[in-house]
Amino acid sequence: MAKYFEKTDKWVVTFRYPLEPLEPPRELRGKPEINPDLCIGCGACAEACPPNAITKEIDYREGYARIRIFYGRCIYCGRCWEVCPEGAIVLTNIFEMATPSKDDLIYEVNLELHTCSRCGRYTEFTERQIHRAYTLLTRIPRERRKELLDRMFLCRDCRRQVFSHDALRSRRTDKYGRASQTPF
Amino acid sequence: MGGRPRPRFRSVWVFHVDASACNGCDIEVLDVLTPFYDVERFGVKLVPTPRQADALLVSGSVNRQAVIGLKRVYEAMPPKPRIVAAVGACAIAGGIFYDSLAVYGGVDKIIPVHIYIPGCPPRPEAILFGLGQLLGLVNKKIEAKILYPRRHVLDRRYGVLFNERLYKDLRYYLTRYVGYYDRDYILDDLLEIINSSRTVEELREKIMDKASRLKDPRLREVYSIAGGYIVEKIKGETGTVQGKHRVQV
Ligand code: SF4
Ligand code: SF4
Ligand code: SF4
Repeated sequence: MAKYFEKTDKWVVTFRYPLEPLEPPRELRGKPEINPDLCIGCGACAEACPPNAITKEIDYREGYARIRIFYGRCIYCGRCWEVCPEGAIVLTNIFEMATPSKDDLIYEVNLELHTCSRCGRYTEFTERQIHRAYTLLTRIPRERRKELLDRMFLCRDCRRQVFSHDALRSRRTDKYGRASQTPF
Repeated sequence: MGGRPRPRFRSVWVFHVDASACNGCDIEVLDVLTPFYDVERFGVKLVPTPRQADALLVSGSVNRQAVIGLKRVYEAMPPKPRIVAAVGACAIAGGIFYDSLAVYGGVDKIIPVHIYIPGCPPRPEAILFGLGQLLGLVNKKIEAKILYPRRHVLDRRYGVLFNERLYKDLRYYLTRYVGYYDRDYILDDLLEIINSSRTVEELREKIMDKASRLKDPRLREVYSIAGGYIVEKIKGETGTVQGKHRVQV
């Protein structure tokens, strides 16, 4: 009888998973994670996420943009990975996420908001978004560049004020004699 | 036994409730019962009636019809231990159906839940991990992370030929050909080549050389297409610096 079991042991297919660790395949779409050094807080992932597992929240009081993933609702579709302009969010192959408490299923990245250089209030974009926008400005001639840089660091209200002020002062007019609209 | 933790429960008999799941999770629960995953080695057994069950495996986002059945099943269970496991994204927080009018979105809004198993559907291994936790065989591995990173973003280095804008363009161009998974690997490789070359001719040669050494014809094609695109883009960019192109703001 013992011999019989010895022989059949070779043909056992059951794996011993929870008792022994298991290396999942590399391509497995598991827990999405944001690289906190790369994320700029643009919120593209929050827009794209079909079940709204990722949300973006702007906290004007504390001055943070909050990108929060709730793994409980995530369907592991990889849309966030596809749309992220910085390559910050990646689906790892971790699947061992079962937990007795829902609070464990949260991953949050808080990014500092930019403060307006004119009025000093928090704007709705982060410091990193401004930085990134600045590095992307390569195709603009020098005279236009100055004009843009003057307004880049302002909040929405200040931009509106500065823009209308400039437009009123501007000598440039269109063919109907109105002040021409300079695109911001 | 070794260092294995002592089980909390001996053999848990489970009853599986489909509270308006799409059947994805139910199939995975069935998978767990097959000889390959074989959850019965831990004494977990699927029973046909809640009156014999110690635990409920609930999947699905609990719609208005299912909530009646779910409550009756819960009441029919013996009062101890009455364990409930929520299987899948739907059972945890509504999953993909979270904003539907017809669903309650989460089992824990109806009955108390003892273990949450995320996934859509969860892999059979993930369900085994959850059940293992319930039985006290393994410990949980995940915990909440709240990060406050420093102020400025980490900039990549692009060498003399490239810049951020070209990198982004190349990234979206590659996504169209290879999708997001392979894109990142190919992009890292290409960026290394770009950083190590000083002129456009050198870059073209290096990429074509790399492409000809690859075994996979699909990859070879992607590399040669990407090489052509990069060279064209870099030439176009030097054109804009000299003011030949129309300015776009
Ligand atoms: S994988 Fe899909 S569901 Fe999960 S966070 Fe990303 S976009 Fe949302
Ligand atoms: S899309 Fe990427 S960069 Fe934007 S907020 Fe999401 S993770 Fe951050
Ligand atoms: S979690 Fe996903 S697979 Fe499971 S029932 Fe919901 S939609 Fe279907």
